[in-house]
Amino acid sequence: MNYLDYVQMTTGQRIAYRIKSFFTGIPGALAKLVKIIANFFVSVFGTIGRGFKNYGQRFVNGDAGTKLSYIIMGAGNLLHKQIGKGILFLASEVAYIFFMFGFGVRYISEIFCNGVVVDGVVVNGVIGNESPIYETDPLGLGKKMINRDTVDDSNQILLFFVLTVLVTIAFIAIYVTNTKSAYAVQQVAQSGKAPMGTIQELKMFLDERFHVTLMAIPVILLLIFTVLPIIFTIFVAFTNYDKNHQPPGNLYWWVGFSNFADVFYTNKMKSETFGKILLWTIIWAFFATFTNYILGIVLALMINKKGIKFKAFWRTMFVITAAVPQFVTLLVMRILLDDKGAINNMLGTNIPFLTDMSGVWPKITVILVNMWVGIPYTMLISSGLLMNIPEDLYESARIDGANAFQQFTKITFPYIFFVTTPYLITSFVGNINNFNVIYFLTAGGPNSDSYYQAGQTDLLVTWLYKLTVNSSDFNLAAVIGLLVFVICAAGSLITFNMSKASKNEEEFS
Amino acid sequence: MISKTKRALAITLTALMAASALAGCGSSSGGGGTQNSTPASTPAEGSAASQQGEVSVQDMNDPGVKQTIISAMEAEAEEAGEKDDDSGKPVIKMVVWCSGDDKTFEKTLVKEFEEEYASDKYVFKITVNGAYGEDKAGGKVIENPKEAADVFNMADDQLSQLVTAKAIAEVGSLFQGNVVANNTEDAVNVCSVNGTPYAFPKTSDNGYFMYYDKRIFKDDEVGCLDDMIKKAAENNKSVYLNITGPWYMTAFFFTAGCDITYDVTTDKQVAAFNTDAGLSAGKAICHIAESQGNGFEGSPGTVGDNAFVQQGFKEGTLAAAVIGTWMGPVIKEAIGAENVGAAKLPTVLMDGEQKQLDSFGGYKVVGVNPYSKYTVSAQTLAYYLTNESSQLKRYQERGLIPTNKKALEDDTVKNDPALKAIEAQMPYAHPQGTSVGGTYWAVKPETIGSNAYDKKGKLTDKEIQDILQNIVTQLEGS
Amino acid sequence: MTNTQNAAMKSGYAAKRKAANIVIYVILSVMVVIWLFPIVWLVMRSFSGDNMIAPKGFFPTEWTFDNYINLFAEWDADANAWVTPDVFPYGKWLLNTFIVAVCSAVISTLIILMISYAFSRLRFKTRKTFLNLGLILGMFPGFMSMAATYNIMEIFGLKQSLVGLVIVYSAGAGLGYQVSKGFFDTIPRSLDEAAKIDGATRNQIFWIIILPLSKPIIVYTALTTFLSPWADYIFVSYFMKDNVDNYTVAVGLYNMLEPNYIANYFTRFCAGAVLIAVPITILFVIMQRFYVAGVTGGAVKG
Repeated sequence: MNYLDYVQMTTGQRIAYRIKSFFTGIPGALAKLVKIIANFFVSVFGTIGRGFKNYGQRFVNGDAGTKLSYIIMGAGNLLHKQIGKGILFLASEVAYIFFMFGFGVRYISEIFCNGVVVDGVVVNGVIGNESPIYETDPLGLGKKMINRDTVDDSNQILLFFVLTVLVTIAFIAIYVTNTKSAYAVQQVAQSGKAPMGTIQELKMFLDERFHVTLMAIPVILLLIFTVLPIIFTIFVAFTNYDKNHQPPGNLYWWVGFSNFADVFYTNKMKSETFGKILLWTIIWAFFATFTNYILGIVLALMINKKGIKFKAFWRTMFVITAAVPQFVTLLVMRILLDDKGAINNMLGTNIPFLTDMSGVWPKITVILVNMWVGIPYTMLISSGLLMNIPEDLYESARIDGANAFQQFTKITFPYIFFVTTPYLITSFVGNINNFNVIYFLTAGGPNSDSYYQAGQTDLLVTWLYKLTVNSSDFNLAAVIGLLVFVICAAGSLITFNMSKASKNEEEFS
Repeated sequence: MISKTKRALAITLTALMAASALAGCGSSSGGGGTQNSTPASTPAEGSAASQQGEVSVQDMNDPGVKQTIISAMEAEAEEAGEKDDDSGKPVIKMVVWCSGDDKTFEKTLVKEFEEEYASDKYVFKITVNGAYGEDKAGGKVIENPKEAADVFNMADDQLSQLVTAKAIAEVGSLFQGNVVANNTEDAVNVCSVNGTPYAFPKTSDNGYFMYYDKRIFKDDEVGCLDDMIKKAAENNKSVYLNITGPWYMTAFFFTAGCDITYDVTTDKQVAAFNTDAGLSAGKAICHIAESQGNGFEGSPGTVGDNAFVQQGFKEGTLAAAVIGTWMGPVIKEAIGAENVGAAKLPTVLMDGEQKQLDSFGGYKVVGVNPYSKYTVSAQTLAYYLTNESSQLKRYQERGLIPTNKKALEDDTVKNDPALKAIEAQMPYAHPQGTSVGGTYWAVKPETIGSNAYDKKGKLTDKEIQDILQNIVTQLEGS
Repeated sequence: MTNTQNAAMKSGYAAKRKAANIVIYVILSVMVVIWLFPIVWLVMRSFSGDNMIAPKGFFPTEWTFDNYINLFAEWDADANAWVTPDVFPYGKWLLNTFIVAVCSAVISTLIILMISYAFSRLRFKTRKTFLNLGLILGMFPGFMSMAATYNIMEIFGLKQSLVGLVIVYSAGAGLGYQVSKGFFDTIPRSLDEAAKIDGATRNQIFWIIILPLSKPIIVYTALTTFLSPWADYIFVSYFMKDNVDNYTVAVGLYNMLEPNYIANYFTRFCAGAVLIAVPITILFVIMQRFYVAGVTGGAVKG
């Protein structure tokens, strides 16, 4: 279908078309996701490959200083009187060597220990190998643990292993930069110019290289506190880190893909739970997004309708509910809606809002409460948008004899729908991960005997949380986390694809 | 190009791994090592039994014994190497975990301990922390034993998992004799795994019985649940038994004779719910659930048992409740001490006949973290917190029933109606530690009760069996 | 069409519109009642002396201010003095939350502005890669890796500390650049070009030209980053473990509703909740226009 066909459709058809293309887009988006990830790796390897080629060429063409800096970093810069830079390179090399021998080597070596005895059985691939040892009880006053400070902790080893790998990658980057820098300064010297001084070079960080200055701290923080933990958690998905293997008392080891197999087919209960929760997560995200969206716009229209007085008053009343911290309002709702709670008491009823074992009431309740939470937000945002619609559009529509309803369907709704499509996408993905509403309201309940460690209103994220906190199934939780990532990524890609905005979005390739 | 890069990377990594493997994974040890550190001080003459397994009762107030302990504490304070800022003396720095409502009381005991074992060669810095109560402590210690409390209060059913996770220290042999000799046999048993005591018994009331309002029920009217429900309904009140809570709900399965056992050493949980006995239990639950809202109350809602019972007696909607001693003071405050009665659990209708309802009988115990830097001090503190005088004080202040034999002989304790109720229930109480482990709670067996509650008891036999089968399947799968 | 017909039509319209407006007033009033009910109920409970969780009536049977006082001080009958509450030191938690919120708002806002400026106005080789990486990282569920974050903080000696909390919040802020990047995208590039011709460095352009133009987005970012610590329960409860002194109000309030405490602490919970909700609500109502400008200027850009 081309653009012309699309413009000729009515609003209803357009929406239908968009919804249809959402679902038909799923396989394509998954393929695209794979492609993007593959492209990413290809480009990374491509860059590394080119890097190696240039690396070799620089060595061949380099002078003594450049060649020397392949072993002693910074030598090239130092020889060409770039003292500051040279010392920095040299220092990083020394620091890395110290880091590796003082710290890194141990964790690389212990990441895959063979022949470790665990509970009397020899196991391969254990992370770490030293278990707690107690001394005898010479005083009768309790046994001390002899190796309290040296006992192995699989978590720590795995984490430090990832850290060591990241540091090594960073070091390799610095190392390559060092060879480049040496070669560059050699060329400058050969052309007879004076190499850049330290001050001059630093100044570049305020101008040509200002992006480095701006991004250095945020990126380092992200690497340490986001990337490193995520990689660690991904590794955990391939281990048997569960309630029976909690280090340091019991080390855990690598088990390959068996956790994934559990979730998909080998373990009937887990895979069925996953299926049911996934289905409900999608149903929930759909309803939570669209009820809020549509009713929020309707509310905004009502408040902003011509002739309605006290607009600011109405708006403020709703904004107040949006402003109270969400966890407070949700906890209050939980107390109010309890089957022995205040609302049932006041009405003299006995409605199982949150406890109906069939799951119907709780599911409706969470969606309704989510509307209570979310509609004021949508109202607030779409109020702002409504004011942006050019008044002359309505003017000319009125001259053409369009009534209020027609004005809405022909002007207001298409405008808002077009403008807010990206917002809709983010809130859909946000609702897939909407931890607060579910956890604080029902905590996933009511619990069901046919779910593994979950209840009928659990989303994937709340299930993940419960697996970590309640049942110590850390490996399973990591698998679920990865799957949530895949679902969110696929979901955003589909919607980005269908929204017109994506065509102009230069960064998404 | 790509393959070349990969190969280079692989070679580098392999080389690194190979080189360091020699350093790291060379030896494989699985615990059970020999002793290779010499104790910093030698035992005082004629004191503690030093051979393992040999148990003798020590008089802990004996100056010689006390001196041994204090000098051992001095040595370990010195060894730990932390100094007090003001006095420059070594510090004994410990954390005690207890439930938040016990915090104030436990603090007074800790203060007494500090005076009792004071020495001018160290200073105590003991923090009582109320963040992790008896229900959570065990799990939190396993999660990260290195930074968990040195001494922690917990429910006895967490013990085996702690032992499996090597996160709890054996009771030192000097204390063993006292612990074994002075506490009731049951209490000692739940604190032991394979015959080795791992924890210090603290209270014997981690079980339930029935509190009732004497204005509604005469003392001879609390024998049969069905009759009680009828009488309560006549008075527009309810009898409360939480059939949606796993701890209370399990009583029916005990009563039906279901095999519910937990093997401490293999961490294996059996709960034979998918049997005829299980079905009988399920039907009995459904039978009382039929009276829901009509003289019977089977769920506390989201606020939990304690809040529900407290509010129920305060507002006068409850006439009787199945709950434990910790609610005694609250109920007395709500309806007046003279109106509070306590009795063993009533009988329930099962397979067409009235059967005495069984229960869990659990203990709250104190454990010592093996990763503690202050093993001796921690052991001594744990012992002190659970000795006769502390248990008695705990009874007086907090209403919690002792496990110490002498404390139980005390007049105030002996005549406590709650204790009498517990004793009457004793023959029907199942020890929690050997019946259920953490897995049991994790699979949410209460779904049978929740369903019965939700449908007001209208479940078919098939539905009951399906639910029970699911619970068993979960257990087997985990 | 004659004038009279026109007038008749107009009055017909007017009548219709009036009827429609009345319907709207009714709907709005009903909605306001529904929306405000839980909040007013919470306020009522906070002034109640009966400590009931599920009362039959809407208004307290006895009015009291004690719940608010008890948040900060309890009467100790033995010592005959006011003491700080032992189990729930709300005042301390309030201060903690405020400190964390202010610090993380300042640092996070700076980080977000820096990174979104770089992505929006500067062109460099790795820009696309970083944008894609940011997008990918943002899709992992946030608390999936809490445990690892905790262990990393342990390396730095910052576990269970407020500083650690501020760092974690600020580090996470690096991924929240979309909205402000959208805003920067709308500032005309000709401004930069003109300044560059005048010899300004990119650093100067950022501070002297762009930032002064970005007041709405600065306020928006500061507002959202300031508000989030007040409502974060999950991470703080994991990160602070048993270090009760460093809890934030969200964790403290949540714990008051634990089964062991709710019977005695429910009305106090209500008072504590009202106490943090009031300033936040006022702040939000005053700042709402920045909020709308922020969201519609960036994320909702067509």
